[in-house]
Amino acid sequence: MMHPQIDELDRQLIDILSHDARVSNRKIAADLGVTEGTVRGRIRRLQNENLIAFTAITSFELGNQSRLAIIGVQADVVKARAIAEQISQLPMCNAVMLMMGRFTILAFCLFHELDQLHQIASDQILAIDGVHHVETSIAVRTVKYNARVVRITADH
Amino acid sequence: MNDRFEIDNVDRQIIAALRADGRATNQQIASDLGLTAATVSARIKRMEDANKLRVVAVSDFSAHGFNIMMEVAIEVDGRPASEVAAELAELPEVFAAHLVTGRYDIDLLVVLRSFDDLTELMSNRLSKVAGIRSMMPAIAVDVVKYQFDVAPIDAWDQS
Repeated sequence: MMHPQIDELDRQLIDILSHDARVSNRKIAADLGVTEGTVRGRIRRLQNENLIAFTAITSFELGNQSRLAIIGVQADVVKARAIAEQISQLPMCNAVMLMMGRFTILAFCLFHELDQLHQIASDQILAIDGVHHVETSIAVRTVKYNARVVRITADH
Repeated sequence: MNDRFEIDNVDRQIIAALRADGRATNQQIASDLGLTAATVSARIKRMEDANKLRVVAVSDFSAHGFNIMMEVAIEVDGRPASEVAAELAELPEVFAAHLVTGRYDIDLLVVLRSFDDLTELMSNRLSKVAGIRSMMPAIAVDVVKYQFDVAPIDAWDQS
C-alpha cells in the first residue's frame, strides 16, 4: 500500500480545488495565506504523484448513458485479471475491480436502453472465456456518490 | 432529471478542452476554439447551473488515507429501502449508495483506512441502522479501470 505524504496545506488545497478547479493560484494563495509559488509547486507535486487530477465531470445523461448497472461476475480465479482487462475494454464499463467475495469481478457500466445492458452483460461479458455467471442489478436511484474521490490510475 | 437539456458541438469542444486541462483559463480555451472568453464562460456556467458539468480536482483514495474499498450489498426488511439508504448515506465511510433492483435492495461502496476501522463501522454504525436484514460484502483487491469523468452530478452534493 502506498502511504503518500500529505500535510494540512495539501489537504486545504485539495478541498478548494475539489469544489472548483478553476480558482486561480492567486486567489488560493490569498485565501490560504501562502505565496502563489507555493500553490503552484504543491499542485504540481500532487499531480505528479497521481494524488489529484483536474477534469471536467459530466452528468450521465449528457453522454446519452442515463443508467448505471452494477454487474457482478463469477469467473475462474486464474483468469480473473485477464477477464477484468477484457471487460475494461468495453467503453460502457466505467469501473472494473477485482474482488474477493461473492464475485470475482465487479463492473460499473452505463447504458441507455435495457437492450444495451443485456448486450453488455449477457452477450459480451458472459461470452468471455472463464466467466461462469453474471449477475446484474440496475441502480434505480443514486442516493450518494462522491465523485471527487477516485482511483487515479497511471494512464490518466 | 432534466431530459430537455441539450448541448451542441461548441459545448462538446469546451468539455473536451476542460477534460484535457481543467485548469485552462477561459481565454486559453477561447483562443484554441476561436471563441471569445465571454462565450466560453457563459457556456460553462450554463452547463454547471444545470448540474450537467463540474470542473474539479478529483483526488485519489490514497490522498485521504483510504486503503480499502468494499462493496456491500444490503437486503432490507421491515422498512422502506430508500429510508435505510438515506441513513446509510450519512455515514462518512459510505462513499456511494445506490438503490438497486435484484436480490439485494441497496448497493454500497465503503472506504476504510484499515481493517481496524471495520469494527467501528460494524458495531457502532451499521448495527444502529434499522431495517438491515443482511449484508453481503466483497473486498476490492485491485482496481483495473476507474473512469471518473462521468458521474451522477445531481446526487453528489450530498457527499
